[in-house]
Amino acid sequence: MKQVKVLLTEDEMPRQWYNILADLPTPMSPPLHPGTGKPLGPDDMAAIFPMNLIEQEMCTDRWVDIPEEVMEKYFLWRPTPLCRAYNFEKILDAPVKIYYKNEGYSPAGSHKPNTAVAQAYYNKVFGVKKISTETGAGQWGSALSMACQMFGLECRVFMVRISYDQKPYRRLMMQTWGAKCFPSPSDQTEIGRKLLAENPDSPGSLGIAISEAIEDMIGKEDARYSLGSVLNHVLLHQTIVGLEAHKQMEKIGEYPDVVIGCAGGGSNFAGLCLPFVRDKIHGKELAIVAAEPQSCPTMTRGPYAYDFGDLAMTTPLLPMHSLGHDFVPAPIHAGGLRYHGMAPIVSHCVKENLIEARSYNQLDTFDAGVKWARLEGFIPAPETDHAIAAVVDEAMRAKEEGKERVILFNWSGHGLIDLMSYDAYLSGKLFNYDMPEEHIEKAKKMLAQYPTP
Amino acid sequence: MEKYDNLEIRCPRLGGEVTFAYCMRENGDLPCPRTIRCWSVYFPVESYLKKKLTEDEWVRCFNQPPRDKISTIFDIVSELKNKKNT
Repeated sequence: MKQVKVLLTEDEMPRQWYNILADLPTPMSPPLHPGTGKPLGPDDMAAIFPMNLIEQEMCTDRWVDIPEEVMEKYFLWRPTPLCRAYNFEKILDAPVKIYYKNEGYSPAGSHKPNTAVAQAYYNKVFGVKKISTETGAGQWGSALSMACQMFGLECRVFMVRISYDQKPYRRLMMQTWGAKCFPSPSDQTEIGRKLLAENPDSPGSLGIAISEAIEDMIGKEDARYSLGSVLNHVLLHQTIVGLEAHKQMEKIGEYPDVVIGCAGGGSNFAGLCLPFVRDKIHGKELAIVAAEPQSCPTMTRGPYAYDFGDLAMTTPLLPMHSLGHDFVPAPIHAGGLRYHGMAPIVSHCVKENLIEARSYNQLDTFDAGVKWARLEGFIPAPETDHAIAAVVDEAMRAKEEGKERVILFNWSGHGLIDLMSYDAYLSGKLFNYDMPEEHIEKAKKMLAQYPTP
Repeated sequence: MEKYDNLEIRCPRLGGEVTFAYCMRENGDLPCPRTIRCWSVYFPVESYLKKKLTEDEWVRCFNQPPRDKISTIFDIVSELKNKKNT
């Protein structure tokens, strides 16, 4: 019988988080205070975060002990299984072994509780009674609500109004866990009230929700703000994923040739990948791929040619249906992992060529996710579909090269609360624009300079 | 109602479906800075936006270097502190 899952006992679970800042080949530039232009110090952040988390944010120790109280909460769903995707491998018909870390086991359904629980603990120890945050579709808000309940903290979540209306189940999860969830703009803050007066039907935005969350807690001694991604301490907490995966692969005598995660704010990607980035820094040969969402040319139109995967022309030529990389908007729009929502650690690793960024078209990602669900059973979160699309990509490369590849990726969460997104895909609402012929001709001319498959 | 207003995609920032009309006003009076990246495969959004926005709006929206999240948070804190002091 083939082994599908690799499990760790609670005793075998890592007891420390890993801090990549201790091993980066070149140090990261510190974040600058936008007002003074000087590097941010602990006192600058003290109004927003508790000092113990600020210390973690600036820490350069390689290993940070996970407090026992956090371990106790982790044990509710961790260690998560490392699984082999035999059924998916079969349809790819490529020389690959596909392993994935199933982070959908957490009560909130994703990797987010790995840091939510840690942050709630540290806030509690510091004497904080209330945490405010913003959330879009509610993944972060629900994880933090759960974590705050575990440590007896009040949780106040400002949920972007359009998402609040669209995702009632996420909101209900937060309320079931005892949090207060407000559609933003809300009547809880001055900025919210001002915006509602101008437009009572405002759909809100992340920018407004962040402003409300910060206004909600600033100046209150017993309140702090919390973020679910981007920051160093968030990525630190998430490394439990990669550290477990490392141990699990060791148990079965395997090591990945490529490690993949989807990259939005960077936390689930970093969580799996940073322990492997460490290996790469110390000479191990492996590829680490961040799969991000972008409107790159669809695979269903355009000439089939070798093309670079990104505007910077740093990726190897990929055979694809391509409208040519010049079709993608100018670099300032491409942004990619330099987009301001991305964790600085991840951006830095891209700059150091430790990580490679690849973009995947929405339709291709949903196609990959639906195939996965039909073969492996678990329905992925739409974000996770980007990682699965990258897995398919890697499998096709392996097939072309005729070389076996061991692929490890982060199955960052389930999509059971995001089924309306699958509905949009399955009912054909996520349309495929009929590209004007002039764009195809332009692309053909550009691609003529490259070899064809 | 503009031509593309009702078209829908999944917003990678919010994690849910939004219309193009939402993207056009996501940043107050300006579109979301990701609008071109997100919509370019669906229709010629760049040329559409160049017609819709003034030069100043274009520069403010698309020609600024991306800011890191911490800077955004600190800007909000500074603004709140200044409001409190006035």
